[in-house]
Amino acid sequence: MAEIRRVLLLAAAAVLLAGCGSLVPDDFPADPDGTLDGVREAGVLRVGAAPRRGWIEVGDAEPAGREARLVAGFADHLAAEVEWTVAGEEELVRLLDGGEIDLAVGGFTDTNAWVTEVGLTRPYSEVEVDGTTEAHVMMVPMGENALQSELERWLDAQPAAGRAP
Amino acid sequence: MSRVDDSAGSEAGGSGHWFGHAELPPEQAEALTRAKRLEVITVVYMVTCVTVVFATAGSSQAMKTAWVEDALALVPPLAFLVSVHFGRRRPTADHPYGFHRATGVGHLTAAIALLAVGLLLAVDSTMSLLRAEHPPIGTVRLLGHTFWAGWLMVAAMVYTGIGPFILGRMKLPLAEQLHDKVLFADADMQKADWMTAAGAIAGVLGIGLGLWWADAGAALLISLSIVRDGWTNLHYATTALMDERARTYDDEHPHPLTRRVDEALAVLPWVDDSRSRVRDQGHVFHVEAFVRPASGRHPTLDELEGAADVLRELDWKVHDVVVVPVADLPETIPAPERNPG
Repeated sequence: MAEIRRVLLLAAAAVLLAGCGSLVPDDFPADPDGTLDGVREAGVLRVGAAPRRGWIEVGDAEPAGREARLVAGFADHLAAEVEWTVAGEEELVRLLDGGEIDLAVGGFTDTNAWVTEVGLTRPYSEVEVDGTTEAHVMMVPMGENALQSELERWLDAQPAAGRAP
Repeated sequence: MSRVDDSAGSEAGGSGHWFGHAELPPEQAEALTRAKRLEVITVVYMVTCVTVVFATAGSSQAMKTAWVEDALALVPPLAFLVSVHFGRRRPTADHPYGFHRATGVGHLTAAIALLAVGLLLAVDSTMSLLRAEHPPIGTVRLLGHTFWAGWLMVAAMVYTGIGPFILGRMKLPLAEQLHDKVLFADADMQKADWMTAAGAIAGVLGIGLGLWWADAGAALLISLSIVRDGWTNLHYATTALMDERARTYDDEHPHPLTRRVDEALAVLPWVDDSRSRVRDQGHVFHVEAFVRPASGRHPTLDELEGAADVLRELDWKVHDVVVVPVADLPETIPAPERNPG
């Protein structure tokens, strides 16, 4: 069974070489399914929105509210237009999992139940609600780490992102 | 007749370190002191590793597996320290053989822990692979900088990989000097632990390159290496507890002393032939030698005691010696093959 160790070693060497060979490329970490590249190429950010007062307000027009503004800003950053899909939370998770949307917002917190199904961003805002602290997150497709990292970096850079709606 | 000599060691200017009533030669006493110090360092170091890896593991399966392996790496050093602590007790009325078997108990415990957890992790990683789970690793914000969390994981694994690499190599020669199999198992596993760290790093960098399967794949290989460690140790711990013929500290060969006991007896003028059982009680050996005197010779009490002394002088490990004169060599003990290691 010494082969196992040898294989481990080879695998480590191979990946290290691959990592060094590309000298930590710009697209590191990369998306296994290429979501971020897809957004940039198509110029369209497909966003799912679930209504929640203050965060995502759904009227006759396009979604409004605090997270709608953040999403518009992020789309600008990627030089893309937002294509909205309004649906319930469970439906949004299904769409993310199927790769039909790139991002989902709806005033989600880091304690939501979908953590094993979708990727959650680092909390970008903390809000006091009824004596407890809500840490707000956005949902991305599971393991699309380039998109998730890009979004987290962008949210970090928004001075207004941390404030209550 | 049976006799254990309590005074020999102290007369020869012994070390003051004991395994039961066997006093250690100065060289072994020093090795024991060093081994205990190294194992305490190992425990402290591994606790910091477990903390660091837990803090950075995120949702990487390989990191999670490496974390469990680091936590399990605490078992052998603790088993060693506990078994040395108990093994040095002198025999009591209730424990006439002393407490040397504490080593075997520690060894078995460590082996089962390794095997069980290794299997669990192998199943876990295989399920991750089959379900094609894509591990999410985002960014962290530290001291005003945002960077990919994978780099933290790589740093954590470099830290946990270096210590065992050095500690394992330092402990290996001590295991031979002390004839301590728990210490050997610990050193042998630690010596190879850097590959676990390298595997986890490969998994994390693989995620970074967009290869979602690299992580679970690395985790699977790491867990298989834990299973292998567990299986090997379970095998040796069990055979030792089954009173297998004493073997070398690394279990590679039958211990040369098993042969030298009969050779030493054959040299005595009153001895025609002998057959002996040598079992490893953990650190020290228990020797039962059945001796057939040359025809017409009835060994005197002095000759029998002299024979026991000859055996004890072979090695510090030969400590509990029974020499029995018999008319015929016992058939229940098979003759050893003539090619022990």
